[in-house]
Amino acid sequence: MSAERFDHEVTTTCGYCGVGCRLEAHAAGGRIVSISPALDGPANEGHTCLKGRFAHQFTRSRDRLTSPLIREGDGFRVASWAEAYARIASELTRIKQRYGPDAIAGLASSRATNEDCYAMARLMRAAIGTNNIDNCSRVCHSPTSYAMRRSFGLSGATGSFTDIDHCDVALLIGVNPTQGHPVVGARLKQAALRGCRLITIDPRRIELSDYAALHLAPRPGTNAAVVLGLCHVVARDGLIDSGFIAERTSGYAELETLLDAYSPAAVEEITGIPAADIERAAHLYGEADAASLLWGLGVTEHRYGSEVVQLLGNLALMTGNVGRDGAALLPLRGQNNVQGSSDMGALPDTYTAYRSVADESTAQRFEEAWGVPLSRRPGLRIPEMFDAAIAGELKAMYVFGEDIAQTDPDTAHVQAALENLEFFVCQEIFENETTRYADVILPASSFLEKTGTFINAERRFQVVEPAIDPPGGAKTDFEIITTISRMLGHDMGWATPWDALDEVARLTPHYAGVSRERLGRRGLQWPVSPDGVDSPTLYRTPFETADGLGHFAALPYKAPGDAPDDEFPLVLVTGRVLQHYNAGTMTRRTGNIELVDQDRLEIHPDDAARLWIGDGDTVSVRSRVGRTELRATVTDRIEPGHVFTSFHFPQTRTNLLIGQSSDINTACPEYKVVAVDVRPVSERPAFTPELVVA
Amino acid sequence: MRVTIDGAALEVPDGGTILEAAGLAGAWVPTLCFDERLAPFGACRVCLVGVEGAPNPLPACTTVCRDGMRIDTSDATARRVAGAVVELVLSELASPPAAHTELARVAARLQVPERPRWTGATHPVRHELEHPYLTFRHELCISCGRCVRACDELQGAFALSATGRGFEANVGAGLDTGFLESTCVSCGACADTCPTEAISEHLLLSLADGVMAVPEA
Repeated sequence: MSAERFDHEVTTTCGYCGVGCRLEAHAAGGRIVSISPALDGPANEGHTCLKGRFAHQFTRSRDRLTSPLIREGDGFRVASWAEAYARIASELTRIKQRYGPDAIAGLASSRATNEDCYAMARLMRAAIGTNNIDNCSRVCHSPTSYAMRRSFGLSGATGSFTDIDHCDVALLIGVNPTQGHPVVGARLKQAALRGCRLITIDPRRIELSDYAALHLAPRPGTNAAVVLGLCHVVARDGLIDSGFIAERTSGYAELETLLDAYSPAAVEEITGIPAADIERAAHLYGEADAASLLWGLGVTEHRYGSEVVQLLGNLALMTGNVGRDGAALLPLRGQNNVQGSSDMGALPDTYTAYRSVADESTAQRFEEAWGVPLSRRPGLRIPEMFDAAIAGELKAMYVFGEDIAQTDPDTAHVQAALENLEFFVCQEIFENETTRYADVILPASSFLEKTGTFINAERRFQVVEPAIDPPGGAKTDFEIITTISRMLGHDMGWATPWDALDEVARLTPHYAGVSRERLGRRGLQWPVSPDGVDSPTLYRTPFETADGLGHFAALPYKAPGDAPDDEFPLVLVTGRVLQHYNAGTMTRRTGNIELVDQDRLEIHPDDAARLWIGDGDTVSVRSRVGRTELRATVTDRIEPGHVFTSFHFPQTRTNLLIGQSSDINTACPEYKVVAVDVRPVSERPAFTPELVVA
Repeated sequence: MRVTIDGAALEVPDGGTILEAAGLAGAWVPTLCFDERLAPFGACRVCLVGVEGAPNPLPACTTVCRDGMRIDTSDATARRVAGAVVELVLSELASPPAAHTELARVAARLQVPERPRWTGATHPVRHELEHPYLTFRHELCISCGRCVRACDELQGAFALSATGRGFEANVGAGLDTGFLESTCVSCGACADTCPTEAISEHLLLSLADGVMAVPEA
């Protein structure tokens, strides 16, 4: 594209999913006109999906928040920045003095930059004095982070997307890349067309199943049994890498004993997958020269999600499929900066790079840098924040870039928590379900309007550059957070986000060599040594655990938190569709709405016939905690007994169906197993959950 | 492996094409059907170069270098043929392609006359504008096959295919029923690679028309 047609062009990083496509953004007259893929983007190699390429008009939607709003009665009035800042500073100060710093909590966003998240964490820790800081990776990949640290040492993919091009077998479990991570989905499809054998494990027959050597459809919530079954066959049939196990791992004997109980026949009993398919999948994976594992929220968002990730680690360690080209474990991160928001220490128990807040030397290092005493007590995780708010212990929250009232589970519980707060600040680009409960709403910026870095699913720091200015009176998140901190008496001393990044690099050995100059156009994959050498593949040499070994985990299968019964006979699984992105606040305000304009309930033809449901009929979906109505799509891509829907539309409010069950180690909600009752209602919805007044 | 490009010796990796070698040497070779993201196709006959000992010019994108090869990227015959090819392509278009398109830029650099020497039938105007983002102006299609290959090789959607024969040759989405009635996943790879804007985007066409209408969200 020639330059003359546009008055501003930048290369930046996509703000949709965690693939981290590099984009060329072309603007004219203060608006984005077109976005094209950067040919040298390491993750996308000259490709993008319709979200990154086309779904940018939301940036100039008339709904954009362009001035601060302050609650007045049942509504909001326009306020100046000075007034909004003063209100926030005085209320947070009052609450801190009256109830103590732990009565305040902040949420960073996995859609925001590293620098925004780091600033938010520093605001909570240094300016307020609490570790009550968390981010939305809590509700998606926190189990991955937990498990990867235990099995291998570091919280991130062991390899890179290029490993997809070098593996003989790719096993995909609980992930639907052609919908959720389309550019990786396309890469997997091309790999399959070239002869790479795919194994897909998902309750639904996903698009890549059509290109796969084998598709396994387990009952939702039985992933652990599937993986244990695969490990059983690998061990029984001698497909293990004994040398690797002996030299580089610990704990195999215990696992071996456990595996006895998971014969293919036993696993068929639990999962519904034919024993012969378990055998075949294990042989495909175990006999490959290089096999990679990819997973998503279908693995993590379960009661035992973190344990299943550890079990996947077992499979890789048994066969030596880690730390080599083509042999990688690649968790596909949902949002653009799920990796980075946690890496930056926007978590209640860790500073940057997952160093514990209780660790004395780390805490002292940050106390020295920030010039304030810091709490050694871990803070609240997101679900605990809601519980504490309901209990009256948490009095104020400051949330940015996260629509918790739509995306977190058990909507009624979240609403009750937000209503019970004395003071609630939302920093957003649109009014949403959550801002309805705010006392102050601050107008912030989208990824196309800000400076900083994201970290993609292959641990790659990449530069984000603004293509356009924030609209009207909106400001960048970075400016807002640092200003509030200054008003609370803690000046972070940064002129730009690059100063924040420099501080992160200075205080974090794993990111020591990261700087704007070094990141350049291709970014760097952490760990980055002080001389700027990065790490596309981890664990070629010892693992990063204390003893340098990969750790097997002997964890048995346990039943999920919910199960179908007579009253709720079907199991609901939720997920994303290609055209929309999570809460839909961005994509619903673009032409994507012309392609898909509603959440649909996918149901198998047998169930549909039994329940008198036709394609396109409106159905009621009722769980133990809530009920909604939406239209049905009858499809045999889903198994009988299961139903599926997305959660992109506030009209549906899918998450009001989800209960309180969550991962035992990380409190990540069990979005993927919900017993429901489905029945036809009428041609038109008789009931629509309460909506935001536009 | 060593080759000589325009008189300068150059080390090239085994299996490299003349086009890749020319790129390494910094020598310009015109292309139309080539896209670095896609497998070489060799259909347009615009990337012709002279090779010592070869009776005719050879396509640079599909010819693999041999040790000792002597290549002339501005060989007079090659350039004359390439210019004529581009002129023929232009002569079939109802209106000249926009100046920023790859076709127009290649034509300008090859000094192809703005008015083709040959007149006659031009492709009939047919527009598909139903998709929220993608536009398809069939009369600008030069059958280079880049969009079809991008759809297959980059995305794997297999939504586009060649239609018609001879002068009627074109590209259609689905059963030539448009993007919305095809397996298209709206990735836009076709629009990104199209050298004539036959496939483009609504906002880019609005910008060219001087109307920057951003659809109301």
